[in-house]
Amino acid sequence: MEEYAREPCPWRIVDDCGGAFTMGLIGGALFHGIKGFRNAPSGMNRRFLGMTTTIKQKSPILAGNFAVWGAMFSTIDCSLVYVRKKEDPWNSIISGAATGGILAARNGVPAMAGSALIGGILLAMIEGIGILFTRFTAEQFRPPTFQEAFEAQQQQQNAPGTSSS
Amino acid sequence: MDSFGNSKNLSDTHIQAKSPYLDFDPAYLPKTSQPEFIFPEGASKQRGRFELAFSQIGGSCMLGAAIGGAEGFYKGLRNTTLEGQTGKLRRTQLLNHIMKHGSATASTLGTIAVMYSSFGVLLQTTRGTDDDFNTLTAATATGMLFRSTGGLKKCGLGGVVGLGIASLYVLWNKRDSLSDFGSQYNPARRISD
Repeated sequence: MEEYAREPCPWRIVDDCGGAFTMGLIGGALFHGIKGFRNAPSGMNRRFLGMTTTIKQKSPILAGNFAVWGAMFSTIDCSLVYVRKKEDPWNSIISGAATGGILAARNGVPAMAGSALIGGILLAMIEGIGILFTRFTAEQFRPPTFQEAFEAQQQQQNAPGTSSS
Repeated sequence: MDSFGNSKNLSDTHIQAKSPYLDFDPAYLPKTSQPEFIFPEGASKQRGRFELAFSQIGGSCMLGAAIGGAEGFYKGLRNTTLEGQTGKLRRTQLLNHIMKHGSATASTLGTIAVMYSSFGVLLQTTRGTDDDFNTLTAATATGMLFRSTGGLKKCGLGGVVGLGIASLYVLWNKRDSLSDFGSQYNPARRISD
């Protein structure tokens, strides 16, 4: 697979919307497929019919919800990049919380606060895992510090007969 | 006169300033059939379908939301006027109409785009090339899959519709080379060039 880098900012919205829609559609097809299969009346034929019907009815809705989430998140993220002139984990966390809040706007203020909290925590977890992962993978490519290099050199000079690399 | 003449000189004589490095006959350049770009070793020479897929899906989603939203706005206006609703009730009904139609159209168009992109990516990776055959096949398969639950007849009809749209798209993309193709067999055009 080719290397997949993210698009620059205004186009990132379209890209994220598409990615979220795809994720929702495929995930929704799996989830609702299993659910429809289990909830259908007995008989293999009926079970498969129930599965296709549920997939057809429910997974585009889930995909649409995902796409709205992705597009809104990306829009706020890009706006924050433009306003704050920097890209850091706080952008994602703020836009996650704001997206959760805005999309629950028609359900009243308590629902908005709850959704915003969940969105913020979710994005904070994702960003945190990303930072930890980067730190762990970066550790093995770290060049030796001056102290370590100096000690290694001294060890080699002290024992020239035993060459071990 | 030097090639970097000042502005007064230029306005008098109407000669365009040219860099001496650009002022030569391109016929002296060696002609090669290879493209004049540098590619990394082993990399494919164009952006594949996978890179375009998410943008296409997102774009068709947003297009569907816009079209459906407009349609819902129109229908909402008409229905609320017919039922004589006003004020807060009318506003909520309008919003409901816009949301309902917008999300329905967006998810339909997005689903079609996801199907088309996945078929396209699959064909591109299995065949190793990206050409018009992939476009036509992916579109036909998309139409058939999208209508596959409605019976064999509807499935075939969907395939035909997909094939038709894809053929129009391919023809539109190929219109330049097709007009050249025609001029080969047209004696009147041939004499002129």
